[in-house]
Amino acid sequence: MPTRFSFLASRLSQTVLVLWVVATLLFLIFRLMPGNPLVAYIDPNFTAEVQQALLRQFGLDQPLHVQYAVFLSNLVRGEFGRSFFSREPVSQVMWQVLPNTLVLTLSALLLAYAVGVVGGALLAARRGTWAEAWGIPAVLATRAAPEFWVGMLALAVFSFTLNWFPSSGATSPGSAYSTWWAQVASWDFLRHLTLPALTLALYLQGLPTLLMRSTMLEVMDEDFITFCRMRGLPERTILLRHAARNALLPVVTAFALGIGYSIGGNVIIETVFSWPGLGRTLVRAVAAKDYPVAQAAFFLIAVVMIVMNFVADLLYSLLDPRVSHERQ
Amino acid sequence: MIRILVRIAVAVVVLTLTAGAVAVGQTQDRRVRELILLTRPQAVDPQEFEMARLLAPEFEKLGLKVTVRVMPWEQLADYVWYSRDKWDMTMWQMVGRAERSDPDEFTFNLFHASTAEKGYNFVGYVNSTYNGIAEAQRIKTDLKVRRQLIFEAQKIIARDVPYVFLVFPQSSYAYNNTVWDPKSVVEQKGIGLKNFWTFDAATPRGTQKDFVLNTADPVQAINPLFISGSTDSWITELIWDRLLRVGPDGLPRPWAAEKVEWVDSVTLDVTLRRGMKFHDGHPVTADDVIFSFTAPMGDEVPMYKPFVRVIDKIEKRSDTVIRFTLKDPYAPFLTSSLAKVNIIPKHIWEPVLADLAKKPENAESYQEQVPVGSGPYKFVQWKKAEEVVLEANPDHFAAPKARRWVLRIIPNVEAALGGLRNGELNFLSVYGGDPQILDQLAKQTPSITVVSTMDIGMRFLAFNLRRPPYDDLAVRQALNMAANKKAIRSVVFKGYATVADSFVSPALEYWHNAEVPKLNYNIKAARDVLAKAGYEWDADGRLLYPKGKVETLVGK
Repeated sequence: MPTRFSFLASRLSQTVLVLWVVATLLFLIFRLMPGNPLVAYIDPNFTAEVQQALLRQFGLDQPLHVQYAVFLSNLVRGEFGRSFFSREPVSQVMWQVLPNTLVLTLSALLLAYAVGVVGGALLAARRGTWAEAWGIPAVLATRAAPEFWVGMLALAVFSFTLNWFPSSGATSPGSAYSTWWAQVASWDFLRHLTLPALTLALYLQGLPTLLMRSTMLEVMDEDFITFCRMRGLPERTILLRHAARNALLPVVTAFALGIGYSIGGNVIIETVFSWPGLGRTLVRAVAAKDYPVAQAAFFLIAVVMIVMNFVADLLYSLLDPRVSHERQ
Repeated sequence: MIRILVRIAVAVVVLTLTAGAVAVGQTQDRRVRELILLTRPQAVDPQEFEMARLLAPEFEKLGLKVTVRVMPWEQLADYVWYSRDKWDMTMWQMVGRAERSDPDEFTFNLFHASTAEKGYNFVGYVNSTYNGIAEAQRIKTDLKVRRQLIFEAQKIIARDVPYVFLVFPQSSYAYNNTVWDPKSVVEQKGIGLKNFWTFDAATPRGTQKDFVLNTADPVQAINPLFISGSTDSWITELIWDRLLRVGPDGLPRPWAAEKVEWVDSVTLDVTLRRGMKFHDGHPVTADDVIFSFTAPMGDEVPMYKPFVRVIDKIEKRSDTVIRFTLKDPYAPFLTSSLAKVNIIPKHIWEPVLADLAKKPENAESYQEQVPVGSGPYKFVQWKKAEEVVLEANPDHFAAPKARRWVLRIIPNVEAALGGLRNGELNFLSVYGGDPQILDQLAKQTPSITVVSTMDIGMRFLAFNLRRPPYDDLAVRQALNMAANKKAIRSVVFKGYATVADSFVSPALEYWHNAEVPKLNYNIKAARDVLAKAGYEWDADGRLLYPKGKVETLVGK
């Protein structure tokens, strides 16, 4: 199918263009921001000589266009240089914390979407009843509550008062695991994960719940549902087999995009629960003018967002034959 | 007659009008421009921001217009450091560190003219008498003579007012006294409870033998040749030994060196303690020590270079005796070099540095998988952004009483406090919150002990002496007299601070000069100082320069 192929080719070339623009903007933004990565080292013993050594080490003694050329050529090879801050390769800085972020946000996302889809469908089915009168404000309130506030409440109640869950980190002090997978599979990790994941899920569930409810309501008005009712199918079957399946489409898109957002980590949750994730690393990198780490992290977010958008587009055409990418 | 009277009247009117116009023109020219006071944001440092907000209206009582401008630290430091002609005044702080127990760092680097162009004398203070004293105190190895010089230096600075010293804040630390025997928790002068001596000596009372403490910042590197964050330095101090260590009294004492003897004013014999071993089993030899001090002389270890610059040569006199020869007499050498440079294993670092010499990177980029030193704690693991774990080195001559030392990275202050209460932490080593809350917690919870101590670190306001009106001593004195330090102490620090008049903290009893001239808060006296120096006020109450003085700004 030539049309589908040309669709893919044009999307891919657009993607490359967008990524180049993003990379260039990232390069410029951090360098045009006021401030200077050297100020992190200002100290009474900070001499002009040390300053020169640092500049050379960071490659900041080169003119801007040379820095840009180096940056682009590294980028093509998938390299981001070394962190100004820890002096480690950037990929290492990010890989050390990215898995923790993914575990936290994916578990929260899955939980939020599972609850949201079922809850949204129920809310739609119970339209006009007390369930709706109480359910929607409850969903909106938890969605609108500031995460740090909910997080602190959760800590105060479940950690400091009831002592059910630990208050910080991803593992207990001094615990060691042979591999990262062994750590993730451990009971200790799960206990540490519970509070931050639940707090995040509580915040994330608003979107899928309300989206599911409104699309369900729309679908329920469509002719094929009326037709199902005319065929005398039980309401339950209509709701689950016919309406819910069709209403899931936008929720799937939202989920795919949600993964994109989750890569950036959740700074607030990670800070409140001292979760060792990418969000905190990213904020720190921006504040300390750690250009290589900040550039790489934002670039990664951009890549994932673009890819997930693309995946969502493809999913649409697979799940719903009415959507087509072929040119009319 | 009437015509004459009219003429006179007209002439008088015209004359007064023109004179008035001239006067207005002059006063406009002589008005002191709007002055900008820089501070970090409230969210980052609430105390600094509040101090600036308290100081500005007091300064305005002198007839000045003062605007508080908030900048993130990176931007503020960049501006003050690299645009030395452009700023007016800024809030600033020096934090307390063990090696700052020697007054040299502040005495020399902050105010000596040689650091005015590119170094830490960013205020641009130049005084040749002061330079002489700052240089002399470095040379005089006689403690009493040196003390007199440090006293004199404090007096000159108090008289010349390049800074308005505000307060020495107290630092508060807390620990669980059911886990750690209070008798074994050491208070270091001007540093507080969080120090090497506590980490080494803290004795467990029960089954919990792990020293679990918090920090807010992530650990950047565990590298004996890289001065990275302040948290990182707690770890390097424990893994690597030094020839001397700054003791709880603030004075250097023998550590890996058994004995240190001045042969003459530039020659020093150091006797190495016998029987020390690195964590990988290799003995610590005189060659390792010599290597540790020669490595920073090359180009691969830039941050330690300033600490070995004064060394001319190092010789091995025997297996345990090492002779340091200095280029010039240098009194702070014991504290600023021997108690600063980490002793590193030559067999590990020599090939690493040789390899790095061929690459663009230097020693700061090299992170050992398992850092090896000879210190009282050994490296166990480092989970990035989460924790660093060390374990006691039982073979060390000062083996720790704790089993392990676990540093948890907790950016949330309230969570750290809750963790101390429910036992997840047993030592609160970083607390940025309200000290009153901590004291309340200690009152409610008998198992928690809180100790607040005066810091070596200080808070101050710095003037840019390159720019008018700060080039005039009278203005600096008047501004100092308009600073209500007592209000800052009680309002901003809730009493957890000491009013400052000098750059040497009263915590350093030996070096602090309590007799420096003090400029107490008195707005009327401040205005008198200005009036006496020829300053005037216009009809709006704005301050005017003395007649003949023109405001010229270099940086504009």
